[in-house]
Amino acid sequence: MVDRTGPRPESAGALSSTSVKPDTTASRGFVSRVIRATLPFLVIAILWQIASFYTKPYLFPGLGSVAKSFWNILTTWDLLSQGLITWARLVVAVAVSLVIGIPIGLVMGLSSRVDEFLRPIVKFIMGVPALNWVIIVIIWFSSTELRIGFVLVVLCTPVTVYCVYDGVRGIDRKLTDMVLAFGANPIQHVRLLMWPYVKASAFTAAKLNVANAVRTVIVAELVGAPLGIGKELDLAKNVFDMATVLAWTIFLVLMALIMAQGIEYAERVTLRWRGDSRRRD
Amino acid sequence: MFAATSAAGTATPKLSVEHARKSFRQANGADVAAIADLSFTVRAGEYVAIVGPTGAGKSVLLDCLLGLKTLDAGQILIDGRPVQNFVREKKGHITRIFQEDRLLPWLSANDNAAIGLQMQGVAEKERRATAARWLDAVGLSSFKEALPSELSGGMRQRVNIARAFAPDPELVLLDEAFSALDDVTATRLRQDFKTLAQAQSTTFLIVTHSIDEAIFLADRILVFGAPARLMAEIAVPSRAFEDRAISDQIKDEVRRLIAAGARVQ
Repeated sequence: MVDRTGPRPESAGALSSTSVKPDTTASRGFVSRVIRATLPFLVIAILWQIASFYTKPYLFPGLGSVAKSFWNILTTWDLLSQGLITWARLVVAVAVSLVIGIPIGLVMGLSSRVDEFLRPIVKFIMGVPALNWVIIVIIWFSSTELRIGFVLVVLCTPVTVYCVYDGVRGIDRKLTDMVLAFGANPIQHVRLLMWPYVKASAFTAAKLNVANAVRTVIVAELVGAPLGIGKELDLAKNVFDMATVLAWTIFLVLMALIMAQGIEYAERVTLRWRGDSRRRD
Repeated sequence: MFAATSAAGTATPKLSVEHARKSFRQANGADVAAIADLSFTVRAGEYVAIVGPTGAGKSVLLDCLLGLKTLDAGQILIDGRPVQNFVREKKGHITRIFQEDRLLPWLSANDNAAIGLQMQGVAEKERRATAARWLDAVGLSSFKEALPSELSGGMRQRVNIARAFAPDPELVLLDEAFSALDDVTATRLRQDFKTLAQAQSTTFLIVTHSIDEAIFLADRILVFGAPARLMAEIAVPSRAFEDRAISDQIKDEVRRLIAAGARVQ
């Protein structure tokens, strides 16, 4: 679209022309950014829609069908509640992984002996694929919630451990010297200096874990969960309902994005001191 | 020349460093001396500057004075007691003004200034009030709740100074406290610091590379060689900073000694 809000160059003087230029440039920049961000999706959507004209609906359903399924999920409590169950599992798993991972990462960062002992274990756990854990928990536990929870927590906790560990190891040595110079005891040292760094690391871990957990939770739910998005996907798969599969996929991605945004907002509020644009010199 | 007023022979000095030695092992296994048989004393309420070439172990000495590092040999006494005992019993009574402000970026100016008091276990209300008074004194009344990222370099250094004074210290160590600032800010801050310091009954040990700063702030200058050892003590007359002839004479003498100390290295 052509922006017609600014004065025409021939009717404006040199000064006024200069003064309106930034606004025009800014709005053009915004439009350009929006176009650049949406263009790839637009191209895929167009190609998908074209494919839907020439293929069977269970391969490439029309965008209208996908939108209808998505709307159906949002407006039908029985379906929406399945999404919320999966969301609750994600939130709990990420929270539990923080509760377990933060102290482990903190102690590993503080003690090289503990680091030496735990590091191989954490590395080993990180190397186990999600699907292997799913099989292991099916044998270990009978409770579905325990199975899913365990898989998510065991995959997220090492990430938290490493983030916190790196955070503690990255603390500015000069700040440590300052705190010790003023006579901090170990508890004051952790509370005053380390905890803020740990908090920053925990936010990073939470963001990584949300993405991690979203990818894993469906695998865990697909294997025998009676509730959740995984079950809904399984049902849709059985009747070749690709529109519903896509609708749930979009739901999952949006859920992950909203959670990530929420964490980022909390991070900005909690760690406002990290803003670096307000310095006076 | 200017005869140094030795602390020896007076009552127990505030600070006494006796035959201190400290070495560090390098990656290649060789030991490098940072402090080599260093002895000096400082009387209570005295302003003593330490100048010396780079690598003279001055910062290591300050770490030892705070009990953060231990000597290989010799001892450091505060009021006649080993420094480790003093630091343990009277927490926060030796404070340090760092070259870089070293403020905690998540704390307000007020909370940063109150860190020493917090370590001493002072109740929050009281420590905030005390820190606020010191921020007033250093001219930051309107910036008590500002984060370090919202302050200029000079302002942050003022918080650094307030933090060092707030716990009512018996000994304040200045570690190149004004060297990271531009000349105008450093000069103004030095003047403000001196005004504040003169109102206290505190003892000051001032490590600096600036001979002008040493002459301006100190009663006595200790010239160190590298590794840290006492090469000379120079008494600074009270009007030395204003009297160009005297200050030039002191500067020449200190420069000559530093050059000699550096050559030995």
